[in-house]
Amino acid sequence: MKTFTFDAQVTAALFDATGAVFALGDGAVVFESGERAEAHDGAVLCACVHPSGDGIITGGDDGKVVWSRRGESVVLATAKGQWIDAIDAAPETGLVAFAFGRTLSVIDPADTHFRRDFSHERTVSGVAFDPKGRRIAASTYGGAALWFARIAQQQPTMLKWAGSHTGVAWSPDGAFVVTTMQDNQLHGWRMKDQRNMRMGGYPGKIRNLAFAANGRLLVTPGAQGVVLWPFEGSQGPMGREATEIGYDEASLVNLVAARPSHGRVAAGLNDGRVWVADPAGQGLDRVRADKGAPIVALTFDADARRLAWADEDGQAGIADL
Amino acid sequence: MSDKTPVTVLTGYLGAGKTTLLNRILTEDHGKRYAVIVNEFGEIGIDNDLVVGADEDVFEMNNGCVCCTVRGDLIRVVSGLMKRQRPGKPAFDAIIVETTGLADPGPVAQTFFVDEDVKAKTTLDSVTALVDAKHVMARLDDSKEAREQVAFADRIILNKTDLATPDELDAVEARLRGLNPLAPIVRAERSNVPLDQVLGQHGFDLDRILEVRPDWVNPPHGAEGHVHDEHCGHDHDHDHGHHHHDHDHGHHDHGPRGHAHQDDIKGVSLSLDRPLDGGKFTAWLDRLLAEKGQDILRAKGIIDVAGEDRRLVFQAVHMILEGDLQRPWGDKERRWSRAVFIGRDLDEAALKAGFEACAA
Repeated sequence: MKTFTFDAQVTAALFDATGAVFALGDGAVVFESGERAEAHDGAVLCACVHPSGDGIITGGDDGKVVWSRRGESVVLATAKGQWIDAIDAAPETGLVAFAFGRTLSVIDPADTHFRRDFSHERTVSGVAFDPKGRRIAASTYGGAALWFARIAQQQPTMLKWAGSHTGVAWSPDGAFVVTTMQDNQLHGWRMKDQRNMRMGGYPGKIRNLAFAANGRLLVTPGAQGVVLWPFEGSQGPMGREATEIGYDEASLVNLVAARPSHGRVAAGLNDGRVWVADPAGQGLDRVRADKGAPIVALTFDADARRLAWADEDGQAGIADL
Repeated sequence: MSDKTPVTVLTGYLGAGKTTLLNRILTEDHGKRYAVIVNEFGEIGIDNDLVVGADEDVFEMNNGCVCCTVRGDLIRVVSGLMKRQRPGKPAFDAIIVETTGLADPGPVAQTFFVDEDVKAKTTLDSVTALVDAKHVMARLDDSKEAREQVAFADRIILNKTDLATPDELDAVEARLRGLNPLAPIVRAERSNVPLDQVLGQHGFDLDRILEVRPDWVNPPHGAEGHVHDEHCGHDHDHDHGHHHHDHDHGHHDHGPRGHAHQDDIKGVSLSLDRPLDGGKFTAWLDRLLAEKGQDILRAKGIIDVAGEDRRLVFQAVHMILEGDLQRPWGDKERRWSRAVFIGRDLDEAALKAGFEACAA
């Protein structure tokens, strides 16, 4: 396992086509191979892999969207000094979506003239492209707004549910949109009829979510173990119960990692430990057995063969599984 | 605890002097690094400091607590600011939140108790209300928000005192004390209050609840009914006997000038010289906050629990209650229970009866 010590908080860990990349609270982007780009004057608040797979795109509290590759950083877009709170990219269409304040913006890194700005009544907390890269879900207070990425003039489709939604994701088949909520629950909508699904009972904050095993499992943190919701068939998890793996009453899972292509699941705990569970295997594979500061970044590469993690004190690692 | 970044909230209606005070905090040579969250759009770096715009995005939690509204934008901005924090090194000496003139301070304060991440990284230090000596009476008459800002505060800065007469100032102070018997009132001109009177107040810190003064519902110095105490700023004998005065007088009806105005918000002070039954008191307080928490802006108390050598201290913001056994009572310390509730339409007689029924 490779380890790193950063003199800044890690705010995101990602794998681009070449290797692991860490984004930091001092505005830097650091590649596994050692290159470092000073991307922002301030903290990196959000990050995603560039649609081409080469390098990462970060949003900062300096109001800039920056593409960093090994040896080079370029500003792709700005937001008049407002914080860039959320970002996502779609390899399928090459588009990038980011949110600042109440605005969702879409840009095309391959076409510098293309930009769409969509406004919302409340602050946008999360953005996610659908699996085809054509629609974008933006989570906000009161639900999620669905936009077509390229159309300039449009009314969004509103998926409504009272409360504060803090993040959003699509199921890999595009059949469901799921949000995390401020009050420790998930909310889902089935696209074909906008039927609501409530997934609750969490003792802690649900900081992210991921799909595993061809989308048959929705994987979330926010509890003493990793929570798995069955997403098989058109019903999704409706009327079914979640299972929990790796339960440890002394800690909470802060973040999870999973890939739709694989059944493997990883957990980053609030006591600094990191483990991986294989669907075929027994028990947990401890990637980081020692306790430490809470895990704040966790991600698999595309095939779930490598795992990158980081804790709040700037300790980070990359494990080959 | 100490590695948490303290947060100070500044309230006050338009023209009370918040901007002047903020500019002083940002430009004074104090060697500290502050982040200031303001309502205006945009982000301006001033030397070492950071000014961030926020949206006053108030929302209700779905957690069954009917008055539990929080500020979503503060969760977002505070979490973002904390990302600048280096391992073991706080990014800022303090965060200052400016609210709009019409803001309800409740959701701002509740945010710091409700959100897991915000609670882990920051601690709400205090809420300071600025009022303008010349215009505050009119604002208190016509604005519910102005009354709530005063009632909610840990400290009140009575600003622009140079624009009011001594009599006007006394009348203003009497009314402010009626609305909020807990908060010290600091007089200032052009917001020239020392920063150590605004920052680092520990207004929500149970360990710092050293004294709760039910007799602060006290007409101003020189007025009829005034009780001389250390807050008058002149020497006097501490044994003058206010320990013996009758606490039943509790709440004066708005001071010597007898203005008929009765504010809908007031502070109710309770005290008892006998120990309370711990179980009864906790049950009463829980029920009170569950039923009346929407109307109770702030509460603080120090309780003498029967059979317990330590002081039970509590503080509440609406329905959010924190309580703990604090330091032991001193050998020579007078053991008594006292509590102050500040809120809307409080039934003083019922509160008093409920409190006294908790006697052991």
